[in-house]
Amino acid sequence: MPIRKPDMATRLFSAIFITLAGLAPIRAADIEGMIVVKHKLTKPKVTASASSYARGAAVELGSGGQEDPLAFERTRVAIYLEGDLPSKPVAATMEQKNRQFLPDTVVIPAGSTVSFPNLDAIFHNVFSLSKPKTFDLGNYSRDHTRTVTFPKPGIVFVHCHLHPNMAAAIVVSPNGWNAKADAAGRFTLRSVPQGRYTVVAWHKAAGFFRQTVQVRENRGATVEFLIPLDEDGIAKEVARR
Amino acid sequence: MRFATRTFLWSFIPFAFLLMGSFWAIQKLVVSTVRDGLRSSLREKQVSIARVRSKSEIQNSRFLRMVGESAFLKAGLQLLLAEPDSGEARLTVEDQLREICNTLGFDFLLMSNPRGAPLAGVIRVGEQLVAMDIARVQPPQRGFFSTGERTYQVTSVPMNQGEENIGILSVGERFDFSEFNTPAVLARNGKVLESNIPGIPLKEVESALAGCKEQTECELRLRDETYLSLPMESIYFGDGYLLRSLQSVDSASGPVQSILRNVFLIAGIGALLAALILSVLSSRSIVKPIAGVVAHLRESERTGVLPEFQARLAPIQEIGELTESFNRAATAIREGRENLHLAYMEFVGSLASALDARDRYTAGHSRRVSELSCAIAEAMQFAETEVEEIRMGALLHDIGKIGIADDVLQKPGKLTSEEFALVQQHPTIGRKILEGVHGFHACLPIVELHHENWDGSGYPWGLPGEATPRAARIVHVADAYDAMTSDRPYRRGMSHEEAVRALKQCAGTQLDPAIVPVLARLTPIHEDKRTLPPPSHEPELQSMVRLAEAVNGDRAPSVPQPAESRKS
Repeated sequence: MPIRKPDMATRLFSAIFITLAGLAPIRAADIEGMIVVKHKLTKPKVTASASSYARGAAVELGSGGQEDPLAFERTRVAIYLEGDLPSKPVAATMEQKNRQFLPDTVVIPAGSTVSFPNLDAIFHNVFSLSKPKTFDLGNYSRDHTRTVTFPKPGIVFVHCHLHPNMAAAIVVSPNGWNAKADAAGRFTLRSVPQGRYTVVAWHKAAGFFRQTVQVRENRGATVEFLIPLDEDGIAKEVARR
Repeated sequence: MRFATRTFLWSFIPFAFLLMGSFWAIQKLVVSTVRDGLRSSLREKQVSIARVRSKSEIQNSRFLRMVGESAFLKAGLQLLLAEPDSGEARLTVEDQLREICNTLGFDFLLMSNPRGAPLAGVIRVGEQLVAMDIARVQPPQRGFFSTGERTYQVTSVPMNQGEENIGILSVGERFDFSEFNTPAVLARNGKVLESNIPGIPLKEVESALAGCKEQTECELRLRDETYLSLPMESIYFGDGYLLRSLQSVDSASGPVQSILRNVFLIAGIGALLAALILSVLSSRSIVKPIAGVVAHLRESERTGVLPEFQARLAPIQEIGELTESFNRAATAIREGRENLHLAYMEFVGSLASALDARDRYTAGHSRRVSELSCAIAEAMQFAETEVEEIRMGALLHDIGKIGIADDVLQKPGKLTSEEFALVQQHPTIGRKILEGVHGFHACLPIVELHHENWDGSGYPWGLPGEATPRAARIVHVADAYDAMTSDRPYRRGMSHEEAVRALKQCAGTQLDPAIVPVLARLTPIHEDKRTLPPPSHEPELQSMVRLAEAVNGDRAPSVPQPAESRKS
């Protein structure tokens, strides 16, 4: 579950890279990074449907033993570059399944569209009161999909009126260089033009983390984010801007 | 029945009745007191339970209000109202309700429209929360509600949107007896739904409760134990539901009753012993002097004398009075007896005198014979009573002569054999005269047999020797002596010596040889006393002689003097 579409960001990136490479022959290099989470960050729970008339017992995500709980946390970290760089809108999907938004963190460049299909047997409702984008898609039932376009960068929190425990975040990045870390915490921002950048990492519980990198010709940069959370998943440091 | 037994019964039986009565009364009192105590404690418990319940109900209702205010539920309700025919909408709300039930631990949750018509609900079955069949199940908005085997307590809160009421949320929790520290039973219209009495099936409780009227206090027997049952009135239960709390009367009154029983057992045994000891002692104090009295009376009965009580038998007034009255009675009886005896003697004396008076020559004969016979008897160591019998018998020995005509008796000349035969009848006649008179029985042998001779030649029966009683033989001797020593018209009486000599001649033939010597020793004393009647009246003297002859008869020639004098 944590990594529903692990290759989505990569694909997006490749597309942006190819586009940028085609538009201007600017020398570029990759920024590679690592998200380090030493402790569990959050304890998201999910209640699986046993049938449409009953709920299964609530289980803690990632506690099944088959997955590294920290890996799940690492995949929930969104990374993007600040700055006025070209952007190409994409179409992303956030499903509603088993009373959860899946994935619960989506990163898209500004101007992109996200569709919200309902795959559950029950009604869902998708709304947001976040400043970058306020919307309410109303109640809709199974196999119905509604879409929203996010023109402004920022963090948009998404909820369901009918299910208060459903929450997701859509990270609208200012440009096309964005990524989500993989299970190991690795991420790559490909073909970043030479220059000095601020790399932003965002985790829902821990907030924003920024680091400045210098990208030179044929020489990428590396960056490491330590997400400072304690055993109980509470952020040790408040979000820095 | 012995006096001791009577005393015991008279003292113990009332005691026993008193004890039993007081035991019964005290037991009743204890039971009713215990029952009152139980009743008030049950009532207090119910009040406190009701207070706790109402407090928690208020808290629950506040808390429920919060649940009713939750936005997502309202969203669900609105979805349901907007899409009344959508199964998915109902599923959505059921899902929401399930989640609340799981989180808050309710056993059922139902959403209704403002008019109370159910829209969607879930109910706990086992571990699962299943959708409620709203077409069939319609729980009340408040009170108790039972479905299947379960009973729920239901509370409802309105769901408002601003001023507008958009629906009702009903919450049910399974009824339990957690607040009850006493046995309690929940029933609906007589059917027992729940009970917290361990180990007793509901059916059994139900049948035990069958006799109880609704909403009243009652008593019931459950597994050989009596319970007091009080309906709980301070909680609203809804249609037909009734909660009763129970308390065992036996376990509450048992210890007191067992103490009471022991106390009464001890008191009973104590009373028994006390009654036993007291009755024995008191009866002894009565019986002992009475036994003394009885022994005294027995002795009196045996001896015929009535001696007075000399000492006080017991320091008891009644016994004292008894002995005193006995003494008085004894004195009176003795005096009466003495008077009677005296009267007898006087009567006999006067009878004898009357007899003697028929002939002046025999005057004083009977008295003299009597005195002489008594003297002989006393000399022979006779008992006093025997002496008295002899005195009377001797006085009356010739009484039979009353029945013999004067011309025979007083015939101056020799008697013919017929006349003599008549005279010989006088002992038999005397016996017949006296036979009918009570009190003369003792002297009958003397009267009848004083003419029997030692050798068997006497009359009327010719009894020999000792076949004639000794008293009669004594009188025979004394009679002969007096006849011989008395003057007669035709002769003077013999002197003592002559008479004794003559008697001695007859001893062994006519007279008892043992008696004659006794008389011989005695007579001098009597001789002085002997008074000669004045020989003034010749016919009297003659009749005396005849009497003497008659007495001795011509068949008694060995009484020599008179016979000889007659012959000469």
